[in-house]
Amino acid sequence: MSPFGPNPWIQRHWDWRAAGNFVFGGAGSGLLLAAALVLPLGPARAVSLPLGLALVGLGLFCVWTEIGRPLRALHVFLNPWTSWMTREAFVGIALFAATIYAFLIPSVQAEVLFGGVALVFAWCQGRILKASKGIPAWREPRVVPFIVSTALTEGAALAVMLALAYNLQGKLVYGLLAAALLARAAAWVMYSTKVLPVLTGEPRRRLDAVTPKLLWFGTFGALALVAAASALPRTYAAPLAIAAALVAIGAGWHAKRIIVTHASLNQGFALPRLPVRGVR
Amino acid sequence: MTRWVMIADLRRCVGCQTCTAACKHTNATPPEVQWRRVLDMEVGEYPNVKRVFVPVGCMHCADPPCMHVCPSTATRQRADGIVTIDYDLCIGCAYCAVACPYQARYKVDKAEFAYGEPMESEKKQFDPKRIGVATKCTFCSDRVDAGLAKGLKPGVDPEASPACVNSCIAQALHFGDIEDKESNVSQLLAENQFFRMHEELGTDPGFYYLWDKKP
Amino acid sequence: MKVKTYCYQCVAGPDLLEVEVEDGVATQVTPNFDAAGIHPGGGRVCVKAYGLVQKLYNPNRVRSPMKRTNPKKGRDQDPGFVPISWDEALGLIAEKLDSIRKKGLLDESGYPRVAASFGGGGTPQSYMGTFPAFLGAWGPVDMGFGSGQGVKCTHSEHLYGEFWHRAFTVSPDTPLCDYVISCGANTEASGGVVGVWRHAEARVRGMKRVQVEPHLSITGACSAEWVPIKPKTDPAFLYALIHVMLHEQPRERLDLKFLQDHTSSPYLVGPHGFFLRNPETRKPLISERLENKVKVQSIEIGPDEEVLAQGELEGETAFSKLLAHMKPYTPEWASGICDVPAATMRRIAGEYLDHARIGATIVIDGKTLPFRPVAVALGKTVNNGWGGFECCWARTMLAALVGALDVPGGTLGTTVRLNKPLSERHASVRPGADGFMAYPLNPTDREHWSAKPNIRNAYRTLVPLAADGPWSQALGPTHFSWMFLGETPPGLPRVTYPELWFVYRTNPAISFWDTRQIAERMAQFPFVVALAYTRDETNHFADILLPDQMDLESLQLIYIGGSKYIEQFWKHEGYALRQPVVKPRVDARDFTDIATELAARTGLLERYNASVNRGAAGVALKGEKWDFSLETAKAHTRDEIWDAVCRAASAELTDGAETQGLDWWKEHGLRVKPFPQSDWYLFPTLAAQGLRFELPYQEQLWRVGIQLGRRMHEHGIQWWDKQLAEYQPLPAWKDFPKLWEEELARIGGSAADYPFWLLTSRSMQYAWGGNVGMQLIHEVAANVSGHGGVIINAGKAAELGIAEGDTVEIATPSRNVRAKAVLRQGIRPDTLLLIAQFDHWVTPYAKDFGVPSLNSMVPMSMALTDATGSGADVVRVSVRKTA
Repeated sequence: MSPFGPNPWIQRHWDWRAAGNFVFGGAGSGLLLAAALVLPLGPARAVSLPLGLALVGLGLFCVWTEIGRPLRALHVFLNPWTSWMTREAFVGIALFAATIYAFLIPSVQAEVLFGGVALVFAWCQGRILKASKGIPAWREPRVVPFIVSTALTEGAALAVMLALAYNLQGKLVYGLLAAALLARAAAWVMYSTKVLPVLTGEPRRRLDAVTPKLLWFGTFGALALVAAASALPRTYAAPLAIAAALVAIGAGWHAKRIIVTHASLNQGFALPRLPVRGVR
Repeated sequence: MTRWVMIADLRRCVGCQTCTAACKHTNATPPEVQWRRVLDMEVGEYPNVKRVFVPVGCMHCADPPCMHVCPSTATRQRADGIVTIDYDLCIGCAYCAVACPYQARYKVDKAEFAYGEPMESEKKQFDPKRIGVATKCTFCSDRVDAGLAKGLKPGVDPEASPACVNSCIAQALHFGDIEDKESNVSQLLAENQFFRMHEELGTDPGFYYLWDKKP
Repeated sequence: MKVKTYCYQCVAGPDLLEVEVEDGVATQVTPNFDAAGIHPGGGRVCVKAYGLVQKLYNPNRVRSPMKRTNPKKGRDQDPGFVPISWDEALGLIAEKLDSIRKKGLLDESGYPRVAASFGGGGTPQSYMGTFPAFLGAWGPVDMGFGSGQGVKCTHSEHLYGEFWHRAFTVSPDTPLCDYVISCGANTEASGGVVGVWRHAEARVRGMKRVQVEPHLSITGACSAEWVPIKPKTDPAFLYALIHVMLHEQPRERLDLKFLQDHTSSPYLVGPHGFFLRNPETRKPLISERLENKVKVQSIEIGPDEEVLAQGELEGETAFSKLLAHMKPYTPEWASGICDVPAATMRRIAGEYLDHARIGATIVIDGKTLPFRPVAVALGKTVNNGWGGFECCWARTMLAALVGALDVPGGTLGTTVRLNKPLSERHASVRPGADGFMAYPLNPTDREHWSAKPNIRNAYRTLVPLAADGPWSQALGPTHFSWMFLGETPPGLPRVTYPELWFVYRTNPAISFWDTRQIAERMAQFPFVVALAYTRDETNHFADILLPDQMDLESLQLIYIGGSKYIEQFWKHEGYALRQPVVKPRVDARDFTDIATELAARTGLLERYNASVNRGAAGVALKGEKWDFSLETAKAHTRDEIWDAVCRAASAELTDGAETQGLDWWKEHGLRVKPFPQSDWYLFPTLAAQGLRFELPYQEQLWRVGIQLGRRMHEHGIQWWDKQLAEYQPLPAWKDFPKLWEEELARIGGSAADYPFWLLTSRSMQYAWGGNVGMQLIHEVAANVSGHGGVIINAGKAAELGIAEGDTVEIATPSRNVRAKAVLRQGIRPDTLLLIAQFDHWVTPYAKDFGVPSLNSMVPMSMALTDATGSGADVVRVSVRKTA
């Protein structure tokens, strides 16, 4: 039997490279948002801006390697009226512009600008998924808050690592990470409880298996580590904080990877009525 | 106005894949790309089982999700309802493919042939424009347009009709203008009970499945 | 540019198509809409015909004649084929033929030294050009080495069908029928364009079809009801229906007038079971009442003209005998055997009667004919092998009981292959003995019974119903030719290997039973000439490969229309041309040219041309008002020959008024004249001649069977006794499923260890097409369930711990194969299904499928062969998940 139907099958159009867009682009825009929110001017911030853009760029590069006609990539800008992919591309341009501007000429307005655009970028990513009507796990509207909250979580985690590396006061950064972890956990529960019932088989199992990882390790585990890190002196806090960050990032990237490449059953085919052949 | 739609009479279809093959001939699609194909669906539990053969492909929706997501405007919609792809604009991002709830779109990244090296017929019909971009059923719009230009009636005159409709040995497929109350498709829809696939998703598909006479 | 041609890759054709050619390259197949008004399938072709473009350009084609260089033959032996010229190839063949002629055309056992196998249910004849003329010119040829005849076809139906109503195959009158009971007839898969077209129209019109079959086939899917019957128990089901109609329903619900006037129901049967006859005229005595018991002055004559009794004899009508015979076969009895609820059988019998419309008439072509819109269809494995006789008899009886036999709406015969003339079914209706149609049974009287068979499968000796016409060789027990090579049973001349074997469009090493054994036998054939498309499992054993020009490269004119196999009922008849669409892509020659050259090289040219003139190319070249006969001394080109045939065809269709040749036919593709729909129905022809259908009582066949037995025993043949028991005046139910259990025991297994019935089923994408190496076909067939493995009931699979896609081992005591499990709901838990016939090990592309075949599992067995020489495609197996 053809592997393609009639029961739903996992889409084969977007693979790990498309997942890479959400993984790196999410982390990158999240880092830029976190930097705007909690990183003061200084070496940590000075690294976070280029790092954030590099991650966003890496995500976009991943996608570029997947498209069938890479030399036509500029056509991606042609449909801002309805396409979230076009919009993400424009926002990406704006994000680079705003971030470079803020890097060169820091100011409160510049901070708000590039932070805001970073948030919009993450939101565009969520909207890209939501507009994919063919994939039930993507078109669920609650995917958007999850994508945004995990972007912020991953960004805050990266900010924590940068703060540690450059000896910054941890409280604000830890606080942002803790808040983002909780928001993400809530968003995941809202999303997964809605989506799981429409999946079947291995895809359902894989998505279901994300929940304990994301909640126990990726949220409570990370929170516990953050709490411990904020209470202890730096020598002890650093490894704990790094662990918290990695766990937070890992859980987010894992969840996004599963959503894009393993839980992405398509709609399949359905018959609301059966034909009457000959007699009623 | 005109809106072209297709009808599949599920009472008639026997799943023979003649339309699948005819479409591949006329549109010279590469291996494994089936713009038109027929599913073999089973419903129920032994011994109360039903088996249904379901032609599928692009539904040429009135509200096509593929068109909304396409970043390059390669996917458009004609005034007569046919959803088209401009191969020269398409960047091959496959966003349309994941947006389509009917799994109707295909993308091949490199040229492939039935037996490895291309046969003469494949060489003749090969179109490099279709590599790396999205492709799908076109309702044989080239045939429809050429036929209309000659004063022929799509869905009635074979020369102006989609290849799948022409080939069906059970006369299960029909094509016509639903906006014309007197057309073949309008009459079939008036006389029979029908449904459309995944109607609850709000795509307003242009493909109707007949399942019984009206009482 | 569009070129018209036909497709006759399978017996459900021929159908019409066009091929689009761009700059000398064939690109696509499309219907021939110019023929839409004539062809009962709208001028369309099925999926197989769309494979013809790939078939043309397939890089795996044999590109030139080839010769074997490895003298050893075997499955594991590389033949070492090397390319040679046509001159050398034909020279080698002619040399062989000449040497055979010098020795004598028949060998020491009396069998032809030359054999030829074509397969395809006769369809290769529509591709082999004038080769039949060459064979005719040659002399005796053994065409009985089968490639599936008898076991893969509707064999018992062929023979009994022709006997009872000139029905080589049987079809419902689909356009007019309202109710069809189909026991395994998989029309939506195997009925072709015309079958599918007609049935789609019928079910939208409201025709109800009840599909009685162990799995939910394509046809079952498209039917109103599916009855999952246990394999090989269809006779019990059908007998129960007859029982209900005879014993539970009011007698007036039957067509009593039809039974009285047009069947042997009122014939009187004497104390020994034979007809009571008028002592002077020896004509059977006929009662005025259907049910009757009388005492009458008469004579009862048995086998070999023996007078068994005379004087005042007690007689009972055949109908009374029928009533008594069917009494035990209640639905309750049947239910325990076939696993169908008794209530279901009662209901179906009632529905059949409800739809029968006794007394109704219809006007067709200005003639008022009986109208009985009910029919019964049987599929292969039901109408062949043990139980085939019972099913065919029961089905024909079901038609007769309501007067629906060969009348509008009812159960119709299509054509004749055993009765002559082959081209005119109605003309084959002639008075025989006892008020029935004459049938050319092979004689079983002492003087004329053939103890010395003319070919190796001994059809004339063993099967009276096989007659002795051009088709009879392939309608005998064609597996015997293979079996007897191993050991000739006592009483027959030693079965020898043929010295030269032609093989064309057939692959017995794949398509017959016990394919391993067949391959071993083939390896011993001394000289095999294979017309080869690609390398395959049969031409693996060839000495010479000749690439003939394939479907889209060659030229031939064939008859179309009238009423032919399956559901090909036309309102026209005529001829259609197959013409070269492009130049040949390999160094292939048209089969006509091959035949002409072989004739020339073997000194047979005059006889060959004379054979063509007489009609071996499909049309006699000389008619009352025209003569396009070929000069017999000349070697004509392909176009010359077929131009003459075309002219003769034009003349025949216009009664001499027009005589267009090849150019006209190439442009138009076909030409027809009207064929009246009233000619679809045989009953009026019988009635007009005052003849009756030879039903229900098989007095003649029983007598012939007893005579046959006597002749055999007189000649030391004791091994056909089981088959002889099939000759009965009224067939009784036997435990048919048990026969397969006994076969298991014979080869060392037990029913408990091999509890599953392994069946096979048709695939429209593949059936008959010779297209297993086509990528397109493989690709589209994957959309239809089952093509990639073995179908098993999902619940049963769960019990056995088998998941979708698991590799399982299917085994008999002597063979086992591996397949991927395909789990479905639409199949009995005790049944497995392997679609189509794969298991290729040479054919390019197909040899990589990894899908096994039922054919390697089924033994060739005398015990499983019925009296008509056929077997059923079914075997008992075990299944388990592999580690």
